[in-house]
Amino acid sequence: MDLLDNLLLGLSTAFQLKNIGFCLIGALIGTAIGVLPGIGPIPTIALLLPFTFGLEPASAMIMLAGIFYGAQYGGSTTAILVNVPGETSSVVTCIDGHEMAKRGRAGAALATAAISSFFAGTVATVVIALLSLPLSALALKFTAVEYFSLLVLGLIAAVVMAHGSVMKSLAMVLLGLLIGLIGIDVNSGVARMTFGVTELSDGIDFVPVAMGLFGLGEIIANLERSGADRRVVTQSFRDLIPTWADMKAAFPAMLRGTVIGSVLGVLPGGGAALPPFTAYALEKKIAKDPSRFGKGAIEGVASPEAANNAGAQTSFIPLLTLGIPSNALMALMIGALMMQGIQPGPQVMTEQPVLVWGLIASMWVGNLMLLVINLPLVGVWVSMLKIPYRLLFPAIVLFCCIGTYGISNSLFNVWLMLGCAVVGYFFIKVGVEPAPLLLGLVLGPQLEENFRRAMLLSDGDFSVFLRHPISAGLLAVVAILLLAMLSPAVLRKRKEALTE
Amino acid sequence: MHKRIDWPDMLFGLFLLLVATGTLVATRKLSIGSAANMGPGYMPRVIAVAVIGFGLFFVIRAVWRSLKNFDGLDIERVQSRPLLGIVIAGAVFALLVESAGLAIASVASIVIAAFATRDVRPLEAVIFGCVMAALSVLLFVTALSLPVPVWPPFLD
Repeated sequence: MDLLDNLLLGLSTAFQLKNIGFCLIGALIGTAIGVLPGIGPIPTIALLLPFTFGLEPASAMIMLAGIFYGAQYGGSTTAILVNVPGETSSVVTCIDGHEMAKRGRAGAALATAAISSFFAGTVATVVIALLSLPLSALALKFTAVEYFSLLVLGLIAAVVMAHGSVMKSLAMVLLGLLIGLIGIDVNSGVARMTFGVTELSDGIDFVPVAMGLFGLGEIIANLERSGADRRVVTQSFRDLIPTWADMKAAFPAMLRGTVIGSVLGVLPGGGAALPPFTAYALEKKIAKDPSRFGKGAIEGVASPEAANNAGAQTSFIPLLTLGIPSNALMALMIGALMMQGIQPGPQVMTEQPVLVWGLIASMWVGNLMLLVINLPLVGVWVSMLKIPYRLLFPAIVLFCCIGTYGISNSLFNVWLMLGCAVVGYFFIKVGVEPAPLLLGLVLGPQLEENFRRAMLLSDGDFSVFLRHPISAGLLAVVAILLLAMLSPAVLRKRKEALTE
Repeated sequence: MHKRIDWPDMLFGLFLLLVATGTLVATRKLSIGSAANMGPGYMPRVIAVAVIGFGLFFVIRAVWRSLKNFDGLDIERVQSRPLLGIVIAGAVFALLVESAGLAIASVASIVIAAFATRDVRPLEAVIFGCVMAALSVLLFVTALSLPVPVWPPFLD
């Protein structure tokens, strides 16, 4: 019983006192940034990365993961009470969740959201544990050829599944790859595109890039929009325990949401953003009386909330088993691993069992904590919403500055972050999503390394990628995805699915 | 209806062309090598050429759409206040942190950043700046032991 042994190992790691502590810290930070609109998990994790350097790998990953799924819990609180999504993944929760709150059922909505998230989180933890071993066993057979094709598939699929124009996202991936090439070439020792700057010889650090593009760029754009007042629904949360009828209505929706989230989370480009939209659309479609939706239907809260939490967790699967991030956040996680001196890839499963299984088990522990953090303590988080944005954003700017400086005590990184902030603002203005750039930046070095090795082995014959069956299969999927994107019918469907 | 250029596409395309050309110039001296044994200049050039392709695509599409009377998208007006406020706040932090210490750099960047929005309250910003400076010294220097001076080094 390999699985049982592994889970026991994971649980014993996750239940070490210090790891419980880091899990709790992660969950608390995650809930806080989830509740606060305008701060997402990406800049937060980027900010904390430099300080995880001194921790053990398992503790660092446990805390960072806690921030990610904690944010999914926190985001729903703001969505329900203020009708503003705390995170993009809780956009749909606003629709029926806030409507429930307006009808005096805020307690029931919050409880449904938290319980759905917990249920989905528990199931997703099991899914990760079940899928991880076979997937990594398969990936261990990969050579440079297969790995290159897999990286290409990961990048292309992430682009196709994410928001925004496919052409623009592809261009952004290439830009990211280009920036990733900066630094000393490993094979020849020649400096590339460093412009004589010594700080660039190790390559561009992705933390300042992520903070500039996602943190500061977003703040600048936020400040341009007129600051509408947030109105918090104030009512006592005495009845936090949903009625039996509520639970009966919510449970099937919770189940469907969990399945959708788990499946979409694993796919490249998955994560927490896409699943709730899909889940909500499905609930509306199969409901006996679709007109209830938008007027406080409890299924409209249960299903998307289950889906975003399940998706957040299962998106760790490609990262842990293949070393491939499915979204920008997982790209940061890859960075966290590399900071710890761990080369991401299928070998991580076998070489770092304590880390992998500790992380998996900690997700369940973290979900349990989040249930407690979010339900009885909801009042604490609501009071955080009273902090006005005019105080919040200068604090974020300061923390970003100190954080980037802290990576290696270099002012260069602060300037780099400021440059990226301006570029990030430009991207927002011209309507381009910055996430694919980060993926390209993180995966660039691996992509080049594997490509060069594959070409060396095949003596410069490009057809090698088609002659290896697994690689050919992966590239075929890439081709199908790209062709599908060009067909007008699919384009229209995708637009509908993403805007709904 | 008058013709308008799709500015977001146009600017993004030009941006891509600029970056790719810069790359080609910066890597012009690196050897390309062959496909079997790539030199350091191989990948940058391949990707730069692809980026040029995308850049041309967006620029041409923007122009073509304006010729077809397609109602191009405008870019929302750029407001200088948030942009300058945030960037200057960061720049001041970078200039001050090593020479004047974390405490002073923190207060300065908080106060400047606060002015990035129109509903700034100067007194509140100064007080908040002092509180945040104290917090960040406690968090980053005391708790996380970031090696950075707290006060101007000449005071020590």
